[in-house]
Amino acid sequence: MTRKAAVTRKAAVTRKAAVTRKAAGLVLIAVLACLLPHQLNVYWVHVADVAVIYGILALGLALTMGAAGQVNLAQVAFFGVGAYGSAILTTHGWPFWVAALVALVAAGLVGLLVSIPALRVQSHYLGIVTLGLSLAFTNLVTNTALTGQADGLNSLVVPPLFGLNLSSDYVYYYVELAALALCLAWAAFVVHTRLGRRLRAMRDDPLAAASIGAEIPYLRITAFVLGAAFGGIAGILYAGLIRYVSPASFSLSSMFFVLAGFIIGGRFSLLGAVGGAVFLVLLREELSNYEAYAQILYGGLVVVIVVFAPTGLVGIVPSITKAIKRRTKAVRDSRSGASDEVQQTRLGAAPYQAVRLTNGGSSTGVADSSAALVVEHLTKRFRGLTALEDVDLLVPAGQIRGIVGPNGSGKTTLFNIISGIYTPTDGTTEVFGFRASRATSYRLARHGVARTFQNLRLFGRLTVRDNVLVALDQSRTVWAWRYFLWPFGVLHADATMRQDADELLSMYGLSDVADSLPGVLSYGSQRRVEIARAMARRPRILLLDEPAAGLNGQEMHQLAEIVRDVRASGVTVVLIEHNMGLVMSLCDQVTVLANGRVIADSTPEVVAYDEAVIAAYLGDSSDDNGSRPAQVNT
Amino acid sequence: MQLFMQTLVGGIGFGAVYALVGMGFTIVYRTMGLVNFAHGQIAMIGAFLSATFFLDTKLPFAVAAIMSMAATAVVGLVIEGILRPLEARDFDLMLIGTLGFGVVLEAVATRIWGATGRAVPAPVDRPLQVFGIIIRTYDLVVIGVGAVAAVAVWVLLNRTKAGAAMQAVAMDRDAATSVGIRVGRSNAMAFALGAGLAALAGTLAAPLLYVTPSLGSSLGIKGFCAAILGGFGNINGAVIGGLAFGILDGFAAGHFQQYSDTVTFLVFAIAIMVRPTGILGELTVNRA
Repeated sequence: MTRKAAVTRKAAVTRKAAVTRKAAGLVLIAVLACLLPHQLNVYWVHVADVAVIYGILALGLALTMGAAGQVNLAQVAFFGVGAYGSAILTTHGWPFWVAALVALVAAGLVGLLVSIPALRVQSHYLGIVTLGLSLAFTNLVTNTALTGQADGLNSLVVPPLFGLNLSSDYVYYYVELAALALCLAWAAFVVHTRLGRRLRAMRDDPLAAASIGAEIPYLRITAFVLGAAFGGIAGILYAGLIRYVSPASFSLSSMFFVLAGFIIGGRFSLLGAVGGAVFLVLLREELSNYEAYAQILYGGLVVVIVVFAPTGLVGIVPSITKAIKRRTKAVRDSRSGASDEVQQTRLGAAPYQAVRLTNGGSSTGVADSSAALVVEHLTKRFRGLTALEDVDLLVPAGQIRGIVGPNGSGKTTLFNIISGIYTPTDGTTEVFGFRASRATSYRLARHGVARTFQNLRLFGRLTVRDNVLVALDQSRTVWAWRYFLWPFGVLHADATMRQDADELLSMYGLSDVADSLPGVLSYGSQRRVEIARAMARRPRILLLDEPAAGLNGQEMHQLAEIVRDVRASGVTVVLIEHNMGLVMSLCDQVTVLANGRVIADSTPEVVAYDEAVIAAYLGDSSDDNGSRPAQVNT
Repeated sequence: MQLFMQTLVGGIGFGAVYALVGMGFTIVYRTMGLVNFAHGQIAMIGAFLSATFFLDTKLPFAVAAIMSMAATAVVGLVIEGILRPLEARDFDLMLIGTLGFGVVLEAVATRIWGATGRAVPAPVDRPLQVFGIIIRTYDLVVIGVGAVAAVAVWVLLNRTKAGAAMQAVAMDRDAATSVGIRVGRSNAMAFALGAGLAALAGTLAAPLLYVTPSLGSSLGIKGFCAAILGGFGNINGAVIGGLAFGILDGFAAGHFQQYSDTVTFLVFAIAIMVRPTGILGELTVNRA
């Protein structure tokens, strides 16, 4: 125990040191940024002004693409809406800041419109659709009289601000810097609290995110609106700085330019995205006499980054220091004769301490007579293939139900329907009286369904704690209005959630690995994290899809303990499992599927000797699970 | 009726160009799993090459086209070598990486041929009158060449050993390797074929449009839209999608004049929302 406490303390200390380092770095950057104009002539201050604007523009990309994983090649159109919006309104005599506000709202609305295709298509499809919409925008402003057609709008007003002379590029620089700092701080606040955590979870695995209640469609819309808002802010600043807007500034080449900055800097880092965009603007200016070469350089840089450092320049630094550390350590170890195996050991979960909660259900059998899950006449066809046919299933509340059957018998399809990933071809499912057949995955999650996946689906770029935190968050997406109006509420709620998460993590023996990414954990521990994540939903019914696959004997024993505790806390458990020993010892009742039909449904003892079941396992010669009946008899 | 038919034929002509771009794109995707956003820029290079052969070297249009296809196919082999590391990446990274490479190609073309571009006259420009409808002869040439190319590609993929090998690689790389197919060589051939088709598309588009370095992005985007509209990863889909997109584009240009791009891309966005898998359905399967 003391060792464990020491480990935790040590982790906390390193974490604190990292935070301090990061804060010191930020302060340093801020100071340098403030001092910068004093080293530059008027021309370069103007370039710096443009660079900061591109930084804000890239920040929008970092939210939509980096955090939320939504391919967004229309960022430059949002930029244009902001710039043209304020330009048009100010030329019509509106006060600058009122015009700016309206332009910002307009950019957000356009973001909302552009997000609609994202509800249906993703990835490269979304890329081409947003690219097309971006072209549509350029086409529109090049031809409309309101936007001054190809000539654009010129002699725009200088933004008034408390008597400051914003026509000076020096003064404008500091105004922009303040805007950038605010944008950056707010973006960081969003990304690191619950909304951003959900966006990142959606980016890593939309299916798993939906299964823990993340409202994917609303989140995608939110992602685009956020990105568009930053684009709009950049556009407003641009109109105020250049005081001239024309279609050329919002062309495809500008889009690729921002995208390149975002990728080169680092797409998963807000600072990286901003830094990359700023860097590219400065580089372009430095090479302004060799435009084609500059293009070759930044295009080539994008290819190189994508191939060799997909996390951008920001990602290179830690991986280099890590490589150096590894090398020096290897040298040291080889001198001291330490074996490689020690290094190879993967991080793992601590042993699970059974708690056997007794509030709610009993630990031995059926708790009450109400039905947790009712499946009636369920049929699912994939084109020609019938995966499930006329399946009936009734799981009473508080039961541990096993579902077994040869590979391809439809077990996972059944889970996918119950958890809302598939809609059935025919028949109904009902969870605690809630008609679930047509409900989406995230709605079912809100009605108490939680699940794990046969092939682990953890959020790879989120820490173990964040994986659990996403699931703990029971709020709806509209909750996020607080981000605009009451940020302290967000912070407060996050602190509370963090406590709950730490409690849950320590219960599942995951405290020591809370700050690790799931990928570095051992397989068994990753399975444990997935169960912890599902239980963080405080579900009423838990679906486990082959939870014992890949576990060793001890881990399997602990799994059984966990499942019993879960049931003892009043949660109904349905599990798909191939390991018959586990099924026999754990389940109150076992349902056997073969070729999409229920062939047996009874207590484990009865099922094990059922002739139809034995035939299903032995009889199908094409099935390679010939060894399984031996397990049945144990 | 007169106007309608003319717009239709013109649209089909452009459609044939988009279909060729989409087909090349699809072949590369199907065999190598590479979503190549630089494909349009390859077509642009093909267009510049044939313009050079046709206008400067004074070769006949057809000869210039064939030489351009061959030269672009060779360039394609070099490009394939450069893009090979991108093949194993996820779609988003591929998209960004090939977009970046497209920027490079465009800049290279600007260095070689300049940014102003050049106008290529149509090799045949006598209008043809069919049933009282005046049709540009060149549109018919484009349609005819496009149809021949589509049939040739179909034959190549489905009736030759090399084509069978390409399809086998597309279905299962490891299994293809184990039956003795040289995956690397098959991929290089597929890419060269795609580049050749792109060059043909660029060449045919040259008299219809104006050859500039930015021709690539407009051809590429519309060709890619066409491929998605027909059904991504589906070669027949690329042909049908190309024709559909060309006709859409033609009618948008006829009715909305300068706003045609706006209308075309809005309609495309809506069509994709209604039917994300395209007209024929995509050939990639996502499993839960």
